[in-house]
Amino acid sequence: MTIHYYTNWFSSIEKFSDRSMRPVYWVANIPSRIGEWADLSSTDRSVIEKENLRLKQESLIYRGQLQRMAELAAENLRLRLLLNATELLTDSILVTAVIGVSPSPKSHTLSIDRGLQDGVYVGQPILDAEGLMGQIISVFENHSVALLITDNTHAIPVQVLRNGMRSIAEGTSDYNNMQLRFLSPTADIREGDELVSSGLGGRFPPGYPVGSVLSVEQVSGEHFIKVNVRPAAEVDRSKHLLLVFTSQDGSRNGNSQ
Amino acid sequence: MTSMRYSLTVIFSLMLVLVLQLIPVSADWLPWKPNFLLLIVIGWVIFQPNQWGIGFAASVGFLADLVFRSPLGLHVFLFVFIGAVPYLLSGWLIYFNFIHRCFFVFILIIFSELIRNFIYSVWGVPVDYGDVPLGAISSALIWPVIDKFLVNVHKKRR
Repeated sequence: MTIHYYTNWFSSIEKFSDRSMRPVYWVANIPSRIGEWADLSSTDRSVIEKENLRLKQESLIYRGQLQRMAELAAENLRLRLLLNATELLTDSILVTAVIGVSPSPKSHTLSIDRGLQDGVYVGQPILDAEGLMGQIISVFENHSVALLITDNTHAIPVQVLRNGMRSIAEGTSDYNNMQLRFLSPTADIREGDELVSSGLGGRFPPGYPVGSVLSVEQVSGEHFIKVNVRPAAEVDRSKHLLLVFTSQDGSRNGNSQ
Repeated sequence: MTSMRYSLTVIFSLMLVLVLQLIPVSADWLPWKPNFLLLIVIGWVIFQPNQWGIGFAASVGFLADLVFRSPLGLHVFLFVFIGAVPYLLSGWLIYFNFIHRCFFVFILIIFSELIRNFIYSVWGVPVDYGDVPLGAISSALIWPVIDKFLVNVHKKRR
Protein backbone atom coordinates (compact mmCIF):
# COMPACT_ATOMS: atom_id res chain seq x y z
CA MET A 1 0.00 0.00 0.00
CA THR A 2 2.94 2.33 0.61
CA ILE A 3 4.15 1.66 -2.96
CA HIS A 4 0.68 2.50 -4.26
CA TYR A 5 0.53 5.68 -2.16
CA TYR A 6 3.84 7.04 -3.43
CA THR A 7 3.83 5.77 -7.05
CA ASN A 8 1.54 5.49 -10.08
CA TRP A 9 2.33 1.83 -10.72
CA PHE A 10 -1.23 0.72 -10.03
CA SER A 11 -2.95 3.38 -12.13
CA SER A 12 -4.25 0.77 -14.62
CA ILE A 13 -6.01 -1.08 -11.76
CA GLU A 14 -7.43 2.26 -10.54
CA LYS A 15 -8.74 3.03 -14.01
CA PHE A 16 -10.31 -0.41 -14.33
CA SER A 17 -12.02 -0.11 -10.94
CA ASP A 18 -13.22 3.43 -11.72
CA ARG A 19 -14.84 2.20 -14.90
CA SER A 20 -16.41 -0.90 -13.35
CA MET A 21 -17.66 0.82 -10.19
CA ARG A 22 -19.52 3.57 -12.00
CA PRO A 23 -22.95 1.85 -11.70
CA VAL A 24 -22.45 1.55 -7.94
CA TYR A 25 -21.77 5.29 -7.71
CA TRP A 26 -24.84 5.92 -9.86
CA VAL A 27 -27.01 3.88 -7.47
CA ALA A 28 -25.46 5.63 -4.45
CA ASN A 29 -26.53 8.96 -5.93
CA ILE A 30 -30.19 7.96 -6.19
CA PRO A 31 -31.11 9.13 -2.63
CA SER A 32 -29.70 12.61 -3.23
CA ARG A 33 -31.47 12.82 -6.60
CA ILE A 34 -34.74 11.78 -4.95
CA GLY A 35 -34.09 14.42 -2.28
CA GLU A 36 -33.58 17.10 -4.94
CA TRP A 37 -36.71 16.00 -6.78
CA ALA A 38 -38.77 15.94 -3.56
CA ASP A 39 -37.42 19.38 -2.64
CA LEU A 40 -38.45 20.75 -6.01
CA SER A 41 -41.86 19.06 -5.97
CA SER A 42 -42.75 20.25 -2.50
CA THR A 43 -41.73 23.86 -3.16
CA ASP A 44 -44.63 26.27 -3.30
CA ARG A 45 -45.39 27.99 -6.63
CA SER A 46 -45.07 31.46 -5.07
CA VAL A 47 -41.59 30.57 -3.80
CA ILE A 48 -40.55 29.47 -7.29
CA GLU A 49 -41.94 32.69 -8.76
CA LYS A 50 -39.99 34.75 -6.20
CA GLU A 51 -36.85 32.75 -6.94
CA ASN A 52 -37.39 33.29 -10.67
CA LEU A 53 -37.76 37.05 -10.16
CA ARG A 54 -34.62 37.18 -8.02
CA LEU A 55 -32.65 35.24 -10.65
CA LYS A 56 -33.88 37.56 -13.41
CA GLN A 57 -32.76 40.60 -11.40
CA GLU A 58 -29.45 38.96 -10.66
CA SER A 59 -28.98 38.14 -14.33
CA LEU A 60 -29.70 41.79 -15.24
CA ILE A 61 -27.11 43.03 -12.74
CA TYR A 62 -24.48 40.56 -14.03
CA ARG A 63 -25.18 41.51 -17.65
CA GLY A 64 -24.65 45.14 -16.72
CA GLN A 65 -21.39 44.26 -15.00
CA LEU A 66 -20.36 42.15 -18.01
CA GLN A 67 -20.68 45.18 -20.30
CA ARG A 68 -18.29 47.06 -18.03
CA MET A 69 -16.01 43.98 -18.02
CA ALA A 70 -15.94 43.93 -21.83
CA GLU A 71 -14.86 47.55 -21.86
CA LEU A 72 -12.16 46.90 -19.24
CA ALA A 73 -10.95 43.78 -21.09
CA ALA A 74 -10.60 45.79 -24.32
CA GLU A 75 -8.70 48.53 -22.47
CA ASN A 76 -6.49 45.91 -20.80
CA LEU A 77 -5.71 44.35 -24.17
CA ARG A 78 -4.75 47.76 -25.65
CA LEU A 79 -2.45 48.44 -22.70
CA ARG A 80 -0.85 45.00 -22.98
CA LEU A 81 -0.24 45.60 -26.69
CA LEU A 82 1.37 48.96 -25.86
CA LEU A 83 3.64 47.18 -23.40
CA ASN A 84 4.38 44.42 -25.96
CA ALA A 85 3.08 41.87 -23.43
CA THR A 86 1.71 38.50 -24.49
CA GLU A 87 -2.00 38.30 -25.23
CA LEU A 88 -4.23 37.03 -22.44
CA LEU A 89 -5.80 33.62 -22.96
CA THR A 90 -9.57 33.49 -23.13
CA ASP A 91 -11.40 30.71 -21.31
CA SER A 92 -14.53 28.85 -22.31
CA ILE A 93 -16.54 26.65 -20.02
CA LEU A 94 -18.57 23.46 -20.01
CA VAL A 95 -21.20 22.72 -17.37
CA THR A 96 -20.92 19.36 -15.63
CA ALA A 97 -22.63 17.55 -12.76
CA VAL A 98 -21.09 15.62 -9.88
CA ILE A 99 -22.01 11.91 -10.07
CA GLY A 100 -19.87 10.51 -7.26
CA VAL A 101 -17.85 11.57 -4.25
CA SER A 102 -15.05 9.61 -2.61
CA PRO A 103 -16.37 8.28 0.71
CA SER A 104 -12.94 8.34 2.33
CA PRO A 105 -12.36 11.48 4.44
CA LYS A 106 -8.67 11.41 3.47
CA SER A 107 -9.15 11.20 -0.29
CA HIS A 108 -10.82 14.28 -1.76
CA THR A 109 -11.87 13.20 -5.24
CA LEU A 110 -15.15 13.31 -7.13
CA SER A 111 -16.53 11.94 -10.37
CA ILE A 112 -18.21 14.13 -12.98
CA ASP A 113 -20.46 13.25 -15.91
CA ARG A 114 -18.18 14.51 -18.70
CA GLY A 115 -15.40 12.53 -20.31
CA LEU A 116 -13.33 12.05 -23.45
CA GLN A 117 -16.40 12.55 -25.64
CA ASP A 118 -16.71 16.11 -24.32
CA GLY A 119 -13.03 16.91 -24.79
CA VAL A 120 -12.11 16.68 -21.11
CA TYR A 121 -8.39 16.17 -20.51
CA VAL A 122 -6.11 15.34 -17.59
CA GLY A 123 -5.05 18.45 -15.72
CA GLN A 124 -8.11 20.46 -16.74
CA PRO A 125 -9.26 22.90 -14.03
CA ILE A 126 -12.77 22.67 -12.60
CA LEU A 127 -14.60 25.35 -10.67
CA ASP A 128 -17.95 26.04 -9.09
CA ALA A 129 -19.86 29.33 -8.84
CA GLU A 130 -17.58 30.50 -6.00
CA GLY A 131 -14.08 29.52 -7.06
CA LEU A 132 -11.56 26.88 -8.12
CA MET A 133 -12.42 23.33 -7.08
CA GLY A 134 -9.57 21.22 -8.42
CA GLN A 135 -8.33 19.46 -11.53
CA ILE A 136 -9.07 16.36 -13.58
CA ILE A 137 -6.82 13.39 -12.84
CA SER A 138 -8.45 10.58 -14.86
CA VAL A 139 -10.60 10.74 -17.98
CA PHE A 140 -12.89 7.96 -19.23
CA GLU A 141 -15.27 7.74 -22.15
CA ASN A 142 -18.27 9.32 -20.41
CA HIS A 143 -17.00 10.42 -17.01
CA SER A 144 -13.91 11.80 -15.30
CA VAL A 145 -12.36 11.90 -11.86
CA ALA A 146 -11.22 15.19 -10.32
CA LEU A 147 -8.81 15.83 -7.46
CA LEU A 148 -10.01 18.64 -5.19
CA ILE A 149 -7.76 21.49 -4.04
CA THR A 150 -8.30 20.39 -0.42
CA ASP A 151 -6.75 16.93 -0.96
CA ASN A 152 -3.48 16.65 0.90
CA THR A 153 -1.64 15.67 -2.30
CA HIS A 154 -2.77 18.83 -4.10
CA ALA A 155 -1.02 22.19 -4.31
CA ILE A 156 -1.92 25.27 -6.31
CA PRO A 157 0.12 28.43 -7.04
CA VAL A 158 -1.74 31.47 -5.72
CA GLN A 159 -1.27 35.18 -5.23
CA VAL A 160 -2.73 37.63 -2.76
CA LEU A 161 -5.22 39.86 -4.58
CA ARG A 162 -4.33 42.90 -2.41
CA ASN A 163 -0.59 43.01 -3.14
CA GLY A 164 0.19 40.27 -5.67
CA MET A 165 2.38 38.29 -3.25
CA ARG A 166 2.87 34.75 -4.55
CA SER A 167 2.64 31.53 -2.58
CA ILE A 168 1.48 27.92 -2.84
CA ALA A 169 -1.75 26.72 -1.20
CA GLU A 170 -1.70 23.09 -0.14
CA GLY A 171 -4.63 20.86 0.78
CA THR A 172 -4.81 19.43 4.28
CA SER A 173 -7.46 16.70 3.86
CA ASP A 174 -9.93 19.11 5.47
CA TYR A 175 -12.73 20.40 3.23
CA ASN A 176 -12.73 23.77 5.00
CA ASN A 177 -9.03 24.41 5.28
CA MET A 178 -5.89 24.79 3.16
CA GLN A 179 -2.47 26.07 4.16
CA LEU A 180 0.09 28.44 2.68
CA ARG A 181 3.53 26.98 3.30
CA PHE A 182 6.95 28.51 3.80
CA LEU A 183 5.90 32.14 4.29
CA SER A 184 8.36 34.25 6.28
CA PRO A 185 7.12 36.11 9.38
CA THR A 186 7.66 39.40 7.54
CA ALA A 187 5.36 38.44 4.65
CA ASP A 188 2.63 41.00 3.97
CA ILE A 189 -0.42 38.81 4.51
CA ARG A 190 -3.33 39.26 6.88
CA GLU A 191 -6.64 37.77 7.85
CA GLY A 192 -9.33 38.24 5.20
CA ASP A 193 -6.91 38.56 2.26
CA GLU A 194 -8.37 37.11 -0.93
CA LEU A 195 -6.26 34.57 -2.84
CA VAL A 196 -6.54 33.96 -6.58
CA SER A 197 -4.76 31.51 -8.86
CA SER A 198 -1.49 33.02 -10.09
CA GLY A 199 -1.29 30.98 -13.31
CA LEU A 200 2.28 29.93 -12.54
CA GLY A 201 3.03 26.41 -13.69
CA GLY A 202 0.53 26.72 -16.51
CA ARG A 203 -1.94 24.26 -14.99
CA PHE A 204 -4.55 26.69 -13.65
CA PRO A 205 -5.60 29.87 -15.49
CA PRO A 206 -4.78 33.06 -13.56
CA GLY A 207 -7.31 35.16 -11.70
CA TYR A 208 -9.78 32.57 -10.41
CA PRO A 209 -10.68 32.81 -6.68
CA VAL A 210 -9.04 30.11 -4.55
CA GLY A 211 -9.87 31.20 -1.02
CA SER A 212 -9.48 33.75 1.73
CA VAL A 213 -7.04 33.87 4.63
CA LEU A 214 -8.67 32.56 7.80
CA SER A 215 -5.81 33.06 10.23
CA VAL A 216 -2.15 33.92 10.36
CA GLU A 217 -0.24 32.35 13.22
CA GLN A 218 3.31 32.78 14.38
CA VAL A 219 4.31 29.41 15.86
CA SER A 220 7.12 29.80 18.39
CA GLY A 221 10.28 27.97 17.38
CA GLU A 222 9.19 27.77 13.71
CA HIS A 223 10.91 29.68 10.90
CA PHE A 224 7.71 30.16 8.94
CA ILE A 225 4.25 31.44 9.78
CA LYS A 226 1.19 29.22 9.61
CA VAL A 227 -1.45 30.60 7.26
CA ASN A 228 -4.83 28.88 7.14
CA VAL A 229 -7.01 29.46 4.08
CA ARG A 230 -10.71 28.80 3.66
CA PRO A 231 -11.46 27.58 0.10
CA ALA A 232 -13.71 29.91 -1.89
CA ALA A 233 -15.44 26.99 -3.63
CA GLU A 234 -18.05 24.95 -1.80
CA VAL A 235 -15.86 21.91 -2.18
CA ASP A 236 -18.10 19.44 -0.35
CA ARG A 237 -21.45 20.85 -1.45
CA SER A 238 -21.42 21.94 -5.10
CA LYS A 239 -23.30 19.61 -7.42
CA HIS A 240 -22.89 21.50 -10.68
CA LEU A 241 -19.40 22.49 -11.77
CA LEU A 242 -17.68 24.19 -14.68
CA LEU A 243 -14.87 22.71 -16.72
CA VAL A 244 -12.51 25.42 -17.96
CA PHE A 245 -11.07 25.23 -21.47
CA THR A 246 -8.40 27.83 -22.18
CA SER A 247 -7.86 28.81 -25.84
CA GLN A 248 -4.36 27.30 -25.50
CA ASP A 249 -6.01 23.85 -25.53
CA GLY A 250 -7.47 24.59 -28.92
CA SER A 251 -10.38 22.31 -28.20
CA ARG A 252 -13.16 24.80 -27.61
CA ASN A 253 -13.99 28.36 -28.51
CA GLY A 254 -16.60 30.52 -26.89
CA ASN A 255 -18.92 29.56 -24.11
CA SER A 256 -20.69 26.25 -24.39
CA GLN A 257 -23.19 24.32 -22.32
CA MET B 1 -32.55 -21.43 3.56
CA THR B 2 -30.76 -22.98 0.57
CA SER B 3 -27.05 -22.34 0.11
CA MET B 4 -27.81 -20.45 -3.11
CA ARG B 5 -30.22 -18.14 -1.32
CA TYR B 6 -27.76 -17.79 1.55
CA SER B 7 -24.93 -16.73 -0.79
CA LEU B 8 -27.27 -14.26 -2.50
CA THR B 9 -28.14 -12.80 0.92
CA VAL B 10 -24.46 -12.24 1.65
CA ILE B 11 -23.87 -10.62 -1.76
CA PHE B 12 -27.00 -8.46 -1.38
CA SER B 13 -25.91 -7.32 2.09
CA LEU B 14 -22.48 -6.38 0.72
CA MET B 15 -23.94 -4.45 -2.21
CA LEU B 16 -26.36 -2.63 0.06
CA VAL B 17 -23.67 -1.49 2.52
CA LEU B 18 -21.39 -0.54 -0.38
CA VAL B 19 -24.07 1.77 -1.73
CA LEU B 20 -24.76 3.15 1.77
CA GLN B 21 -21.04 3.80 2.20
CA LEU B 22 -20.90 5.71 -1.09
CA ILE B 23 -23.87 8.03 -0.43
CA PRO B 24 -22.36 11.52 -0.39
CA VAL B 25 -22.58 13.52 2.84
CA SER B 26 -21.35 17.02 3.63
CA ALA B 27 -17.95 17.53 5.27
CA ASP B 28 -19.56 18.36 8.62
CA TRP B 29 -21.24 14.93 8.76
CA LEU B 30 -18.42 12.89 7.24
CA PRO B 31 -16.76 11.98 10.59
CA TRP B 32 -20.16 10.69 11.78
CA LYS B 33 -20.61 8.36 8.82
CA PRO B 34 -20.75 4.73 10.05
CA ASN B 35 -18.29 2.25 8.62
CA PHE B 36 -21.00 0.09 7.01
CA LEU B 37 -18.62 -2.20 5.16
CA LEU B 38 -16.56 -3.05 8.22
CA LEU B 39 -19.76 -3.57 10.23
CA ILE B 40 -21.09 -6.16 7.80
CA VAL B 41 -17.70 -7.91 7.69
CA ILE B 42 -17.60 -8.05 11.50
CA GLY B 43 -21.20 -9.27 11.50
CA TRP B 44 -20.65 -12.15 9.09
CA VAL B 45 -17.42 -13.16 10.87
CA ILE B 46 -19.20 -13.14 14.26
CA PHE B 47 -22.18 -15.21 13.08
CA GLN B 48 -20.50 -17.48 10.52
CA PRO B 49 -16.77 -17.58 11.35
CA ASN B 50 -16.20 -20.90 9.61
CA GLN B 51 -17.76 -19.80 6.33
CA TRP B 52 -16.93 -16.09 6.29
CA GLY B 53 -13.54 -15.71 7.93
CA ILE B 54 -10.29 -13.94 7.22
CA GLY B 55 -10.37 -14.61 3.47
CA PHE B 56 -13.80 -13.02 3.26
CA ALA B 57 -12.55 -9.97 5.22
CA ALA B 58 -9.55 -9.66 2.87
CA SER B 59 -11.78 -9.87 -0.23
CA VAL B 60 -14.15 -7.17 1.04
CA GLY B 61 -11.11 -5.07 2.00
CA PHE B 62 -9.80 -5.38 -1.56
CA LEU B 63 -13.21 -4.36 -2.92
CA ALA B 64 -13.18 -1.35 -0.55
CA ASP B 65 -9.72 -0.34 -1.79
CA LEU B 66 -10.94 -0.40 -5.38
CA VAL B 67 -14.15 1.51 -4.70
CA PHE B 68 -12.69 4.13 -2.35
CA ARG B 69 -9.57 4.75 -4.48
CA SER B 70 -7.46 4.17 -1.38
CA PRO B 71 -3.94 2.71 -1.63
CA LEU B 72 -4.29 -0.99 -2.48
CA GLY B 73 -3.87 -3.04 0.67
CA LEU B 74 -4.99 -0.42 3.18
CA HIS B 75 -8.50 -1.78 3.64
CA VAL B 76 -7.30 -5.37 3.11
CA PHE B 77 -4.95 -4.90 6.07
CA LEU B 78 -7.57 -3.11 8.18
CA PHE B 79 -10.36 -5.60 7.50
CA VAL B 80 -8.12 -8.63 8.02
CA PHE B 81 -6.71 -7.20 11.24
CA ILE B 82 -10.11 -6.23 12.65
CA GLY B 83 -11.87 -9.34 11.24
CA ALA B 84 -9.28 -11.56 12.90
CA VAL B 85 -10.42 -10.44 16.37
CA PRO B 86 -14.01 -11.80 16.17
CA TYR B 87 -12.67 -14.78 14.23
CA LEU B 88 -10.25 -15.72 17.02
CA LEU B 89 -12.83 -14.97 19.72
CA SER B 90 -15.66 -16.76 17.90
CA GLY B 91 -15.80 -19.47 20.60
CA TRP B 92 -16.51 -16.84 23.24
CA LEU B 93 -18.66 -14.50 21.20
CA ILE B 94 -21.62 -16.88 21.19
CA TYR B 95 -22.00 -16.16 24.92
CA PHE B 96 -22.12 -12.40 24.30
CA ASN B 97 -25.55 -10.82 24.49
CA PHE B 98 -26.76 -8.02 22.21
CA ILE B 99 -25.38 -5.17 24.39
CA HIS B 100 -22.00 -6.85 24.67
CA ARG B 101 -21.85 -7.21 20.90
CA CYS B 102 -22.64 -3.48 20.46
CA PHE B 103 -19.82 -2.56 22.81
CA PHE B 104 -17.50 -5.06 21.13
CA VAL B 105 -18.23 -3.53 17.72
CA PHE B 106 -17.68 -0.02 19.13
CA ILE B 107 -14.22 -1.04 20.37
CA LEU B 108 -13.35 -2.72 17.05
CA ILE B 109 -14.32 0.37 15.02
CA ILE B 110 -12.26 2.57 17.37
CA PHE B 111 -9.27 0.28 16.79
CA SER B 112 -9.83 0.31 13.06
CA GLU B 113 -9.95 4.12 12.91
CA LEU B 114 -6.86 4.43 15.12
CA ILE B 115 -4.89 2.07 12.86
CA ARG B 116 -6.12 3.86 9.72
CA ASN B 117 -5.16 7.27 11.13
CA PHE B 118 -1.80 5.94 12.25
CA ILE B 119 -1.05 4.63 8.73
CA TYR B 120 -2.10 7.97 7.21
CA SER B 121 0.05 9.91 9.69
CA VAL B 122 3.04 7.72 8.71
CA TRP B 123 2.43 8.83 5.11
CA GLY B 124 2.38 12.46 6.24
CA VAL B 125 -1.37 13.01 5.84
CA PRO B 126 -2.79 15.37 8.49
CA VAL B 127 -5.11 13.38 10.76
CA ASP B 128 -7.55 14.38 13.46
CA TYR B 129 -7.75 11.78 16.21
CA GLY B 130 -10.69 13.69 17.70
CA ASP B 131 -12.91 12.32 14.91
CA VAL B 132 -12.14 8.68 15.79
CA PRO B 133 -14.96 8.11 18.35
CA LEU B 134 -17.62 9.81 16.19
CA GLY B 135 -17.64 7.14 13.48
CA ALA B 136 -17.45 4.43 16.15
CA ILE B 137 -20.48 5.85 18.00
CA SER B 138 -22.60 6.01 14.84
CA SER B 139 -21.43 2.52 13.83
CA ALA B 140 -22.43 1.15 17.25
CA LEU B 141 -25.84 2.83 16.85
CA ILE B 142 -26.31 1.22 13.43
CA TRP B 143 -25.14 -2.18 14.67
CA PRO B 144 -28.54 -3.27 16.14
CA VAL B 145 -30.06 -3.24 12.63
CA ILE B 146 -27.24 -5.38 11.25
CA ASP B 147 -27.30 -7.63 14.32
CA LYS B 148 -31.04 -8.22 13.96
CA PHE B 149 -30.68 -8.97 10.25
CA LEU B 150 -27.83 -11.45 10.82
CA VAL B 151 -29.60 -13.16 13.72
CA ASN B 152 -32.63 -13.71 11.46
CA VAL B 153 -30.48 -15.07 8.63
CA HIS B 154 -28.63 -17.30 11.11
CA LYS B 155 -31.91 -18.69 12.50
CA LYS B 156 -33.28 -19.45 9.03
CA ARG B 157 -30.00 -21.04 8.07
CA ARG B 158 -30.22 -23.43 11.05
